Amino acid sequence: MHIFEKFEFTFADYIYILSIFILVVMGLLAIYSASYQVESPGLKANFSKQIIWFVIGIVICTITIILPTRALFSMSYWFYGMSLLLVVLTLFLKHDGGVSRWITIAGVKFQPSEFLKIATILLLARYLSYKKRNLDKIKDLAISFVIILVPFLLISQQPDLGTALVFIAIILPLLFWAGLSIYYLLVIVMPFVVMIASFNYYAFFVVMILSTLFLFIFRRGMVAFFLIMIFNILIGIITPFLWRQLQAYQQHRLLTFLGLEIDPHGVGYQIIQSKVAIGSGGFWGKGILNGSQTQLRFLPAQHTDFVFSVVGEELGFIGSVFILGLLLFLLLRGIYIASIVKNNFLSHLVMGAVVVLGFHIIINIGMTVGIMPVTGLPLPFLSYGGTFLITCLILIGFIIHASIRRFRY
Amino acid sequence: MLENQRKNVKQKQIQFSFIVVFLFVIILVRIFYLQIYKKTQYLKASENNRIREVVLEPTRGLIFDRNRKIVVDNHPSYSVNIVPFEIKKSDSVITLISKILQIEPDSILKIVETKRTGLFTPVKLKRQIDFETLSKIEENRLDLPGIGYQIEPRRSYPLDIRAAHLLGYLGEIARDELANPFYKELRIGDIVGKNGLERVYDEVLRGNKGYSYVEVDAIGREVKKRTEKKGILPHPGHNIHLTIDADLQKSLEIRMENLNGGAIVVDCTNGEVLAMVSKPDYDPELFSKLISEKKWNELLNDPGKPLYNRLVQSVYPPGSTYKLVVAAAALEKKKIRTWDTTYCSGSYKIGKDNFNCWNLDGHGRVDFFSAMEKSCNVYFYKLGQKIGLENWTTFSKKLLFGVPTGIDLMDEKAGLLPDRKYLEKRYGRKLLPKGLLVNLSIGQGDLLVTPLQMLRLVIIIANDGIYPKLHLVRYFEDPITNEKQWVKIDTTQIVNISKKTYSTIKYGMYRVVHGKNGTAKAAYCKNIEVAGKTGTAENPHGQPHSWFVGFAPFDNPKIAICILVENGGSGGKIAAPIAQKIIKKYFTIEKSNYAHF
Repeated sequence: MHIFEKFEFTFADYIYILSIFILVVMGLLAIYSASYQVESPGLKANFSKQIIWFVIGIVICTITIILPTRALFSMSYWFYGMSLLLVVLTLFLKHDGGVSRWITIAGVKFQPSEFLKIATILLLARYLSYKKRNLDKIKDLAISFVIILVPFLLISQQPDLGTALVFIAIILPLLFWAGLSIYYLLVIVMPFVVMIASFNYYAFFVVMILSTLFLFIFRRGMVAFFLIMIFNILIGIITPFLWRQLQAYQQHRLLTFLGLEIDPHGVGYQIIQSKVAIGSGGFWGKGILNGSQTQLRFLPAQHTDFVFSVVGEELGFIGSVFILGLLLFLLLRGIYIASIVKNNFLSHLVMGAVVVLGFHIIINIGMTVGIMPVTGLPLPFLSYGGTFLITCLILIGFIIHASIRRFRY
Repeated sequence: MLENQRKNVKQKQIQFSFIVVFLFVIILVRIFYLQIYKKTQYLKASENNRIREVVLEPTRGLIFDRNRKIVVDNHPSYSVNIVPFEIKKSDSVITLISKILQIEPDSILKIVETKRTGLFTPVKLKRQIDFETLSKIEENRLDLPGIGYQIEPRRSYPLDIRAAHLLGYLGEIARDELANPFYKELRIGDIVGKNGLERVYDEVLRGNKGYSYVEVDAIGREVKKRTEKKGILPHPGHNIHLTIDADLQKSLEIRMENLNGGAIVVDCTNGEVLAMVSKPDYDPELFSKLISEKKWNELLNDPGKPLYNRLVQSVYPPGSTYKLVVAAAALEKKKIRTWDTTYCSGSYKIGKDNFNCWNLDGHGRVDFFSAMEKSCNVYFYKLGQKIGLENWTTFSKKLLFGVPTGIDLMDEKAGLLPDRKYLEKRYGRKLLPKGLLVNLSIGQGDLLVTPLQMLRLVIIIANDGIYPKLHLVRYFEDPITNEKQWVKIDTTQIVNISKKTYSTIKYGMYRVVHGKNGTAKAAYCKNIEVAGKTGTAENPHGQPHSWFVGFAPFDNPKIAICILVENGGSGGKIAAPIAQKIIKKYFTIEKSNYAHF
């Protein structure tokens, strides 16, 4: 075929595609197991629905791979704008409980915020890939931030902090990839660290000493040094003050929103049951359809956010390590491709895909094993959810797209 | 891409890869910690999640009388419980169950808060629910996760006797009682004996709990019956066979109707209690249903103290019945010969004080037997002076006063046996002699005894110094194996009192009933020779207490009896007639039993 002749698939690419298949199949298994003993036909249907989504995903992924790079590049603005529009639309479609993340089209639910993830990295990759970009200029930096802040603010209105945080997570690695110096990176990060540290005198003290040391090492002039220090000290003073201005319920709401405060009977219960499920799996696991935590439904959201607990319980340490290994391979190869690909736009696009996937993986598994707050981010390829699966497959599509065009400019 | 950036790319790739690997290693270490290092702990936790222990309540032992009539029976009843964890999850369960049980939601929360021992241990919400309530709960099963019910014993009393103090009643175990080793293995909300035999033999009656294990899902529904963990069957409690004769008990209860006091009949050859009544009492059915707080307070605050078992828990001055002790001391110490006489003018003067005989006209010349017969106080005043306080105390102690009888009931009082030390402390050294002893020799003054202690004295006399411990249970019976476990009879031998002394006193007691002027002539029975002693004990609460103690038949004692009527007046007029009726009843019952053979 004409189009495929131009592509240079290597052995690693085939392994890559195989890995994705294995992960999705394992996810399907976990979803099947999680819905196995439920009388509710809605839940039973999850398994077959997910298969359909997977097929659709493969098609879209293939399109992403085949599409010329030029097309991806030029559609980024349109796609970004459309996705934003859809998210704005969800804000007007408030339903049950006020949380609105879905749009229903012909009986199928979509989560526009998922497409916004793709749109954002597309646009950011395009913006950062221009040769004239100089990230030492405030203007270029500011526009990059605007690109991610708009979706962040919109989605935190939904409110879905987990997803909103994904956009924050994208920006720093991508800027760094695009050549932002460590100095600026840390200057950007510093106020946020100071903000958190300001609640504890010792932490604040240590952070301030570290920042002084770091600014001293980079020697960017006394004026910058003092301005930055004064700005950070001001933040350190104002944050606790503002915090105290909040009512107790507002503080509580904020902490729960950030996943920092655990409600022992809600979220706490989920974490305990998830840890029990994973821990009781042991080395070999209890066997598929044999996990008591899963089968007796002690696990919350076991087919979506806590799907890794099902794997942990039924397939044990062996199964967990196998999945972790596959996921790690996906990410590391992604980083490798981003570094070898000649096209600057594709390099950034791949990096964006790696960051989004990596962020989901670390936060989700970290949550199920009890070392990360519960934010409601699903696990790529394994969690139930059509829009999310398609999003992940598109991101993988970007990586493969770049991989087979690695020598082109 | 700029050339210098290109150079950096390799370096950045390594940096990014390093960060990703680092984060994955943290997760891997954590998974290793959970799945390998802490595996046992989490496996146990998942088992605990999945397998719920269901307690199988044993049936409580029944109580029979000596003729194998059922005195205390069981009726099944249901109690509703709730798993505290469930109500933390949702309010709808509370709302629904509060409607069904007709308890305010707030009260339910309060019950759970005060009674709960763990998040997953059921807490009893309501006992003895009716069938309608039970079926309502069954209907709403799916909307009531965490709500369950269990069978618990409810007592019923098929015979027409009350014997309330004897049998006791059941109630929910109190939180502070759980620490008691007597109640090991019990949990909050369990039903235990609260008083009487139900309490004393609770461990025997209670039986052993059984356990079954069921697999449940996250909302507490049973998934399947069978689990790998084997259950244990409950072992029902032992049946108790009492020494009580229900017929005799019934007739004693009738005789004591509307009186305040206590009455007890025992087989003096072996210490078996045949009938035992304390009045006023209460209906034991009252406690087998759920007693309301109002009713309970009524019982508690009733001036007649119906919850008290007067035979074991109340102390009284023994009055003239105590002359038996003084006589034993005088005879044993050879202070008198029975034919020596003394003159009773109706009063006795010692120092400046004048002590009256109950008969102010005087009894004239009396010897030992006529003094016993007429219960002459002056004779015993003088006898008291002859034996002295030391001998009085020694012989009281020898005859076990100041010591509980050891009957198998709760909270038995020891009475008060004053000795020189006690009296000196109370009245000072100087006031001591003579006067106090005068009162003590006729069973007045500081001396206080329980009716059971007086009964024990009679048993000792009747048996010439042998005391078989009073007891209420003949044997325990395992309801499954029918194995019987007989209660051993503890006997105490009273030392240093001769048979001759006992015989003399017994004859004196015979004269009390059979003599021309006997104070207990009212206890006389045709065909049965009764021996006894009356007492009319002065007390600060009004009319004197009316006492009768005695045994029958005279020549071969079989039963001993003690009747006390609070503020009843003369012992001969009130207590003795009751004794007569009961003794007659006993021997007719015995004859009819004998006729069966």
